[in-house]
Amino acid sequence: MDKIDVRTAPVIANDQVAPDMFLLRVQGAFPAKPGQFYMLRAWGINPPLSRPMSVFDRTDKLLSFLYAMQGQGTQLLARLLPGDKLVLFGPLGNGWNQQGDQIALVGGGSGIAPLFYTAKVFGKVDVYLGFHAKPFLLRTFEQVAKQLYVSSESGENGQKGLISNVFQPHGYDTCYACGPYAMLEALRHPCQNAGVPLFVSLEERMACGIGACLGCMVRTTQGLRRVCQDGPVFRAKDVIWDD
Amino acid sequence: MINLSVQIGNLALRNPVIAASGTFGFGQEYSQLYDTSRLGAICTKGLTLHPQQGNPGPRLWETPCGLLNSIGLQNPGVTSFVEEDLPKMKEMGLVVIANVWGNTVKEYGQVVRKLSNTSVDAIEINISCPNIPGQPITGEQIARTARVVREARKACKKPLWVKLSPTGEGSSLQLARAIQAEGANAVCAANTFRAMAIDITERKPVFRNIFAGLSGPAIKPITLGIVYELSLALEIPVIGVGGITNWQDAVEFIMAGAYAVQIGTANFIDPFCGIKITEGLTTFMENESIKSWEDIRGCAHQ
Repeated sequence: MDKIDVRTAPVIANDQVAPDMFLLRVQGAFPAKPGQFYMLRAWGINPPLSRPMSVFDRTDKLLSFLYAMQGQGTQLLARLLPGDKLVLFGPLGNGWNQQGDQIALVGGGSGIAPLFYTAKVFGKVDVYLGFHAKPFLLRTFEQVAKQLYVSSESGENGQKGLISNVFQPHGYDTCYACGPYAMLEALRHPCQNAGVPLFVSLEERMACGIGACLGCMVRTTQGLRRVCQDGPVFRAKDVIWDD
Repeated sequence: MINLSVQIGNLALRNPVIAASGTFGFGQEYSQLYDTSRLGAICTKGLTLHPQQGNPGPRLWETPCGLLNSIGLQNPGVTSFVEEDLPKMKEMGLVVIANVWGNTVKEYGQVVRKLSNTSVDAIEINISCPNIPGQPITGEQIARTARVVREARKACKKPLWVKLSPTGEGSSLQLARAIQAEGANAVCAANTFRAMAIDITERKPVFRNIFAGLSGPAIKPITLGIVYELSLALEIPVIGVGGITNWQDAVEFIMAGAYAVQIGTANFIDPFCGIKITEGLTTFMENESIKSWEDIRGCAHQ
């Protein structure tokens, strides 16, 4: 396991890729497995907590994060300019393990964030992206997807409707998904019926990011589990979904 | 050689920086980052007689310079702690302060008794968790607090610390005097403040238990005031906890009379916070030619 550390990195770019979505790139060689995350901050003691963000991409020279500007922390992140400093703590979480040859990655909204690096590392995977409004980063994803499927409310650049309706699990060995709970839930039964193992990456509010504070618990068939340390990736069949 | 050590009753710590209960698990997680035996001690997650699941989410909510939590004392129970976690902690060379919660007065005694013959270095009685549904905060009631401390003292051969509530019946001073009278060896002041947040879209409290506990830098000036007042009035040592984020905060608490400080929410701001504070204190002692904490402890008292 790579050592968990706190490091500071200069911002290379922080591009707005959709009305409330930003792609933040920092300089440096940072370790990460597909599906792992870092805790990010670029401020002092307020807000107190760092923000957990999945790795969007990494190379030997840079690390990037795709995030939605929603609250105070992400608004501060969105203000970062090239040359500013980002404080990173990670890599954290279990990430996904490649299983099988025919793999589908399904993402919704900001949940598409961990799929780019996953597709790049796994190679030859089909990628399904669901958007609420106008789709974005499609050309970026085309570079790493065997086949790219897109859906949105308007149907622009793809199909109209929910990505969970576009995705058909038959023929896949494994499905990996990240997005709103409603999307993950909607994928669960089709995958189960088709006998396709579904791994989901969950999102919760986190304080420590390493399993100490017990703030981000999820109920599973094996009891309470920490999203930050035991996850964020869980087998969908282990998660208790009725919360 | 700078001497950071501190003597709290008959417990000697290598330095006055302690990880606060509930923010540091059983020390394993932060040991992925640094040698946690470099801290003065570690207070465990609150332990109960039986395993507890804790509260349903959400469990966390941020406020300006603060954090509301409603974890609800999720823990594996004292027996599992003694068998599984404590040996690992001792193997790592940690000074272990076992934090204890009882759902009844009797339960406090039962949990303390189970810990009293183990290798824990001290026991910290938590009378101030605001996050248990249907449970009043014991530390807000002087009579009940006295009963809890009496019960724990009877069961306890170890140093006994009591972690106060910052709010409630009478003043914290009256409460602390009652605790001292029952034979506690130190008081920790304070704990999270009972507080809340409302989701204005849903028009209801954020937390299912309505109230949660407020911690973080926002509460530091208040807990500092409590420590100042208590350390003037008590004969037993006072340990400061609540919003301490850097070495300067720690020095303030020591000057207000604290023997040691506990670091909680600041671990989330910077996971290396505890170590940085010990380093900052070392430099401070060096620069100010301080030989021992006694040179400055309580120096702000007027």
